Amino acid sequence: MELTLKSETGFDLLALSGEVDMHFSPKLREKILGTLKDGKPLLIDMAQVSYIDSSGIASLVEGFQTAKSSKLPYGLLNISTTALQVLTLTRLDKIFNLYSSAEQFKAQVTTHAGAIQ
Amino acid sequence: MSTDNSQRNAISIRNLVVDYGQRRILSDVNLDIPMGQIMVIMGQSGAGKTTLLRCLLGLKKPTSGSVHILGTDIASASLREINKVRIQMGVAFQGGALFSSMSVAENIQLALREHTNLDEKTIEIMTRIKLDMVNMLPAEHLMPAELSGGMTKRAALARAIIMDPKLLFFDEPSAGLDPSTAAELDQLIITLKNTMRMTIVVVTHELDSIFKIADHIAVMSNGLIIETGTPQQITASTNPEIQGMLNRKPRETIVDTDTHLRRLTGGV
Amino acid sequence: MLKSIENIGAIVISSLEQTGRTFNLLLIVFWELLQPPYRLYPIVRQMYFIGARSLTLIIVSGVTIGMVLGLQFYNILERFGAVDLLGAGVALSVIRELGPVMTSLMVVGRAGSSITAELGIMRITEQVDALECMAISPGKFLIAPKLVAGLLSVPLLTMVFDFVALFGGYFVGVYMFGLPEGSYMNGMTDAIEWVDVRLGLVKSVIFGLLITLICCARGFYMHLGKAGSQGAEGVSSVTTDAVVMSSIAVLFSDFLIGALI
Repeated sequence: MELTLKSETGFDLLALSGEVDMHFSPKLREKILGTLKDGKPLLIDMAQVSYIDSSGIASLVEGFQTAKSSKLPYGLLNISTTALQVLTLTRLDKIFNLYSSAEQFKAQVTTHAGAIQ
Repeated sequence: MSTDNSQRNAISIRNLVVDYGQRRILSDVNLDIPMGQIMVIMGQSGAGKTTLLRCLLGLKKPTSGSVHILGTDIASASLREINKVRIQMGVAFQGGALFSSMSVAENIQLALREHTNLDEKTIEIMTRIKLDMVNMLPAEHLMPAELSGGMTKRAALARAIIMDPKLLFFDEPSAGLDPSTAAELDQLIITLKNTMRMTIVVVTHELDSIFKIADHIAVMSNGLIIETGTPQQITASTNPEIQGMLNRKPRETIVDTDTHLRRLTGGV
Repeated sequence: MLKSIENIGAIVISSLEQTGRTFNLLLIVFWELLQPPYRLYPIVRQMYFIGARSLTLIIVSGVTIGMVLGLQFYNILERFGAVDLLGAGVALSVIRELGPVMTSLMVVGRAGSSITAELGIMRITEQVDALECMAISPGKFLIAPKLVAGLLSVPLLTMVFDFVALFGGYFVGVYMFGLPEGSYMNGMTDAIEWVDVRLGLVKSVIFGLLITLICCARGFYMHLGKAGSQGAEGVSSVTTDAVVMSSIAVLFSDFLIGALI
């Protein structure tokens, strides 16, 4: 698995690729929580994820909870059908904010920032 | 052929023989279980289903033959190699086999704690995800002794899938359950296959669930697999023994009255 | 006639098998203890179960035995006019013999039986199989903490037993029979030597290992026992067996150690 963190205007974009399994999810968790600690909205690009196991999903869930409690926008981008099936099975598809483009999320972030001010 | 085969088959059993002392429990069992499908091993009590399952789990060394699971021959592998395969397998035992000194959550988490370096919070969330899948979230902190039969099976299933195994074994999922709980479990097994892409081996004699969940059926009798095929093929089988099982007829017991009388009186 | 010889043969073979399995288990567990990860908590938990929860029993029986010894020794020593030796008599018999032996027998009865029953039930309810299928070694996970706890708890309990038994003897000698306190204490301290303490300690360590090992092995391997002793009845019969076997083992090895050291 590979992690690449990019700073976009107004939010951070974390791109994942490959297999997110029990070896790598600790790293993923650390990255997500670390980024959120800096107080920036986070969008996670899942387009290149070929497989995600429940430890990976657990890390995403924990990130979401952390983002929520610090009132930061948090979203998943381009989630694959396989990963979506796993989310559906655990009824998480309704909890996460799923996006199909970074612009969507950006718009969300802008309105969110407006609401706060 | 062999490489191609091992790609498609999660499990491949060849010429498996198991003796218990003088008795032959399994005689020359051959079976292929394809990846990502549900194989039901059916048969009456004493047909050798349990022994076959124990061989698949590496709990019983066969007398001869090979049992390839995910490419490793369990029959000849060392314990270390067997354990490498076991990490990718989940087992739900008939009676649940939950550890009675641990809560439901601790039972489910045990494998994660032993085999991974995941953070405590991740383990907790994973546990709850699995508990939610089997509809057992409120029972997280209960002890196994406080669970009903259906809850025990579901907790055992949650424990079996905690490591996201490639292979799931389920021993008698619906035995001793009321029809609606049994149907719920059947549905769950199908969902697991479809979403988690698991290969699932179910050992059972409950006809209702067999035809609901099976992609393939292997019928066992007297230590042999007498027929394998899709549910349609098995239903259409002309084997009288299989027809007897499907029509729930008792085993052939018709003998002439003299013999019967002699059997009962011990030939006096 | 032939039948009974056959029976004796079968019993000999099965008990040899059992002994072999028991010591094989010790080797397996010892080897697995050396492999990481090392965990302290399960051992502490077992020490609580074997040790701490046996404490009341040990204290009560220790005081009682001490008092009985005081009484008996006084009666005997009085005949020879040697009541000054009461302290020495009580102390030596407690520290060299009765402390380790009685403590071990108490632990067998209280903790050993439940160890066997627990492991036996885990075996018949497929919990041991479940552990193996999770690629967790039952030897390391179930047996090792119990063995280490037994090895550590029994000597500690023996020390407690010794202490309260000496107090029981003192109580009888000084308060019931009015012996001067000084003569009792001096008799005791003069008589006890380091070798006596060491003997008691060695015994208690060996007994602790022996009884937990036997009780673990009987429960853990209950499925290998004779056919027809499965299920709940099987658990109760191996539990009885384990108590009998480990008590005999304690008494016999007590003799052996006494003779050899």
